[in-house]
Amino acid sequence: MEISINGDTYLVDSDPSELLVWVLRDELGLTGTKYGCGIGLCGSCTVHVDGVATRACITPLVAVADKEVRTVEGLAETEGGLHPVQQAFLEFQVPQCSWCMSGQMMTAAAFLSRNPDPSDEEITEAMTRNYCRCGCYARIKVAIARAAQLTRELP
Amino acid sequence: MSEVSARTGRRWRVSRRGFLIGAGVAGSGLALGIFYGIPEARLAIARSLDNSAAPGRVEAPPDVWFEISPADRITLYLPKVEMGQGVHTALAQIAAEELEVEWGQLGVVQASTARGLRDRTGTASSNTVSSLFIPLREAAATLREMLRAEAARRWGLELHQAVAMDGVIFRSDRPSERLTYSQVVEGATDWEVPEDAPQLKPVREFRYIGRSMARLDLPDKLTGRAVYGFDVRVPGMVYGAVARPPRLNSRLKRAAVGRAAEQPGVVSVVAEEAFAGIVATSRKEAYDALEGLELEWEEGGGVDQADIIRLTTVQDGKGVVIQREGRPAAALRRGRIVEAEYRTPMAAHAHLEPQAAMVDVRPDKVVAQVATQSPDAMRDALAELLGRPKERVEVTATYLGGGFGRKLVVESALEAARLSAASGRPVHVGWNRTEEFRHGSFRPPTHHVLRASLGAGGAIQAMEHQLASGDVAFSLLPAVAAVVMGADFGAWRGATIPYQIPHRRARSQRVELPVSTTWWRGLGLLANTFAIESFMDELAVESGEEPLTFRLNHLGEDELSERIRRALIVAAEASGWGERPSEGRARGLACCIDVNTVVAQVAEVSLEPRGRVRVHRMTAAVDPGLVINPDGVRAQTQGAIVMGLSSTFLERVMIRDGRVEAGNFDRYPLFTMAETPEIDVHLTGTGSEPYGVGEPPIGPVAAAVANALFALTGERFRELPLVLEG
Repeated sequence: MEISINGDTYLVDSDPSELLVWVLRDELGLTGTKYGCGIGLCGSCTVHVDGVATRACITPLVAVADKEVRTVEGLAETEGGLHPVQQAFLEFQVPQCSWCMSGQMMTAAAFLSRNPDPSDEEITEAMTRNYCRCGCYARIKVAIARAAQLTRELP
Repeated sequence: MSEVSARTGRRWRVSRRGFLIGAGVAGSGLALGIFYGIPEARLAIARSLDNSAAPGRVEAPPDVWFEISPADRITLYLPKVEMGQGVHTALAQIAAEELEVEWGQLGVVQASTARGLRDRTGTASSNTVSSLFIPLREAAATLREMLRAEAARRWGLELHQAVAMDGVIFRSDRPSERLTYSQVVEGATDWEVPEDAPQLKPVREFRYIGRSMARLDLPDKLTGRAVYGFDVRVPGMVYGAVARPPRLNSRLKRAAVGRAAEQPGVVSVVAEEAFAGIVATSRKEAYDALEGLELEWEEGGGVDQADIIRLTTVQDGKGVVIQREGRPAAALRRGRIVEAEYRTPMAAHAHLEPQAAMVDVRPDKVVAQVATQSPDAMRDALAELLGRPKERVEVTATYLGGGFGRKLVVESALEAARLSAASGRPVHVGWNRTEEFRHGSFRPPTHHVLRASLGAGGAIQAMEHQLASGDVAFSLLPAVAAVVMGADFGAWRGATIPYQIPHRRARSQRVELPVSTTWWRGLGLLANTFAIESFMDELAVESGEEPLTFRLNHLGEDELSERIRRALIVAAEASGWGERPSEGRARGLACCIDVNTVVAQVAEVSLEPRGRVRVHRMTAAVDPGLVINPDGVRAQTQGAIVMGLSSTFLERVMIRDGRVEAGNFDRYPLFTMAETPEIDVHLTGTGSEPYGVGEPPIGPVAAAVANALFALTGERFRELPLVLEG
């Protein structure tokens, strides 16, 4: 089966019922997408499917046929560049262990594309289903507000 | 990250001061390594990593610390692991300070166990920076002095005329004439380590230490390039899954391959006494094929939560005395006696990266990449399991997606080793979340009985803390330790009474449980501080004294008391302690001393409909001595407070019918962004010596919140998690 990830097309021979998180990580070597709980609760595996934040640990491969998947490896527009969310997470030194951070950033990027000028409450509402065991929540929140500002300043 | 590269071809020789100098490999520059031995820097490193002062045998290859490459990149090889606490960056700051290099020149690489030194303590107990602060500076300064001496020799100058700055050595008489470090290295073949220990910089001259340098590991972590244990991929690698018992302590009686070998993707099947597992070409195939095994399990005991609580109960007057001042027994029979007891439950570490390892058991050697806090302990465990010499087992720690004490011993590495030995392939085992919950190891449950005698005027005359706890440190020590020590020193973190009370006693009792318990961030610190600092609040109320004043009244004149006093006052003032909180809110205070770091916190809370508690603000004052990276200390404090709040309100591992009830986060939720309060951190540290910061700030969280709830409701909460009636 053919799937499109970060703008490239991959031919995958996994079973269509195989979960996207394992196809990405174990078949395609895109290990930036993390496994955390396997039941769609912690958010570590969040990717974009046609621009929508989606939990890859409960999404079968067949569900992304004919769709555009984006992972943290393809979050930046340019090779070697950073997405405004990544820039802001770096600026505020957000991550600690960072296992959850791909999922945090993918969730944030999808959210900001729908809501480019969010309030603090809207950020919290969008992000509160992503666990961070290291407790970086306060920094995640300010970094997303900053990313929104960076995005608005883009030419 | 990569393995130590300096092993191939480099000739190492031991200098008079016992450093190892490696040179002579074309294009690979100079490396300075350090071994056991007599000189001070080596000894200090040996002591801090090996926990011993004895000079040891040199086992080649050496412990590489610095390597200067021709492009003027300097690599620092570190035995300590990065699990989010920022130690690679902090240690690089410490090294760069004495090396006199530009910040961008220095890179950090995780060294494998092929280095010569043993890091017996692992990366734990908040001791990384404090234990390496001096040895790392001495090693860096020694390298700098060698470079200066070589440059001076080449110029025909005296040593003091060769000045090191920003990775360059220049002539003091002609500053435009200069050599970069790699240029100095390039022309030189005969290195000698200076006889005298180098002079270290005074604090006032620090330019990297004390600054919030950006974390070195974040660019790779934010782009998905960083490799964690769960991410390790090597050619030919296959996946392993292991059969799990239906209940805690039910052992495998009989195992047969059954239909497992015929399942899709299966490479090999292991069905042995007490261990059965599958190797397959994908993770899913490995787990699916477990169903095909024919397994017969012992029933296992039907332990329930009530059993855990019954076992975890203080027996009055029993246990090991860990603190005694004055004559507590007699003093506790006089005056006004106040008593209270407290409980904390088992809790999960819930590191979001489940434990994972890749092990490749080859005929001549064993190579492993493991998300572990203790690569050296893992190497020993693998060598023992496989019956191989330790020198033929090489473990490299990956980045860790959280550790919190749980990744000191990584069972999945031992499982991957058994499966690799059976299949002849490199095998990756990564636990799923349910395995972490149902077959893991937890923070031990505790029970505390506090007793005090109040004198006239409300001063505490005597105080006693009796503690019962499941094992912490004993989980990783030989069984003989338990016999010798009688109670678990890991449970004692924060258990002694820090106030200047004339008669004091603390006792610790070991509880043997049918559930595995182990290290958890701060070990006993959160539980013990919850008990002692809640009790201090109760005593303040009994004495009719305001809680801050009451604590200050019970501090002495010594330096530690002074630091506690300062932290309490800074936290109180920053929280608005003296002013009335807004309507419907109240504040509570608590403090602790841990690994010589002092922490004070104020919680501000209110009640929401349906009895929910809202924490609005946590104000913390932290004194970790000399601060290496202020933003790093703030990050650790913020994180520890969130983890502490999660324990305060939510977390409890429950046992029912011999099983852990929760199998995933649906039954064991963690604190989220929506619940997280504003966190205000103030650093009050001074001095010339750094202490630990990874764990201490978790200590006061629960007590500060419980004390605030008492101030708000008049109800005393003596059990975690805090549950409000109604």
